[in-house]
Amino acid sequence: MSEQQSSKLLPGLFDAIAEDQRVNVLNIGPALPETVAFFSGSGYRCKLFFLDLFAELPLAFEPGDELTVQQRMDELMDFPEGTSFDLCLFWDLFNYLDEAAIEAFMDCLRPRLAPGARGHAFAVHNTRSPQQAQQFGIVDVDQLRLRPRPAPLPGYAPNPQARLQVLLRGLTVKRSVLLAQSRLELLLQAGG
Amino acid sequence: MIGPSIEIKGSVSGDEDLVIQGKVEGTIDLGAHEVTVGESGRVNADITARTVRIDGEVSGDVRGTEKVVISKTGNVKGNIIAPRMTLEDGAIFKGSIDMDPGESPAKVSLAPKTPGAAPAAPAAGSGGDKNPGLDLKQG
Repeated sequence: MSEQQSSKLLPGLFDAIAEDQRVNVLNIGPALPETVAFFSGSGYRCKLFFLDLFAELPLAFEPGDELTVQQRMDELMDFPEGTSFDLCLFWDLFNYLDEAAIEAFMDCLRPRLAPGARGHAFAVHNTRSPQQAQQFGIVDVDQLRLRPRPAPLPGYAPNPQARLQVLLRGLTVKRSVLLAQSRLELLLQAGG
Repeated sequence: MIGPSIEIKGSVSGDEDLVIQGKVEGTIDLGAHEVTVGESGRVNADITARTVRIDGEVSGDVRGTEKVVISKTGNVKGNIIAPRMTLEDGAIFKGSIDMDPGESPAKVSLAPKTPGAAPAAPAAGSGGDKNPGLDLKQG
């Protein structure tokens, strides 16, 4: 059963978009109806890129693997030449990546961040915060739709807040809000 | 209509709406008309039309000058260009969606692929007598 949740920081994603600006949006996760409907009806001149890294979990190197995490990430994040992102919807991806995977992800993303790009993510204030098996979609500039995931995701091991900020090299935390169950909502900005 | 037992390899163009229940590989250009890929439709082609509705499977880029709809049974792998887009609950989509309302349908080029070609030439080929406005070119 899906539920709707208000977001204090989501509006901050759209603050910086100028009227008539063409915007590239990276959505980490599957394409969900409400997110597509939101952007379709929003009037933004946008291009949405959907990359479901959650379907690739666990993104950790195991003995015997042919490719390193960095090589896998390079293959997965193979966007057209010249693509740069203005908005990034990370959702709770960083709670499922270890340090090496976050670094590999950021190494791929950093060159593709437009100046002043903004991102939205969920992290944790306390690493014992329980796993939330949900997918996220945007219903409105300040409203999210939370849908139960079809199956639990492997590799839930959230990083401490301070460590995550270090790992997200290229993005700085512009604002954060403490949510229930020690979860954090983060508004990120490129250029850190 | 391209029926469930019909397979086409090549380019499909024309001046009327089209429902695809069979298999098409190549390109589909229906300009100002509507293309529906039915539940049994399997398309491995780029599609251009005014409105594109996908209930079946499509692998290729889809351009809808007015709208693209992927229904709950639809499965699309490719890039979509359309000012308006609907993804129904249960639809599967992998790729990108370019929705730029600054580019109105009237501004989008619908020029035929061959310069000077008549867009509504009567067809020969599979289902030709049932679809007098369709042009099927073998690839």
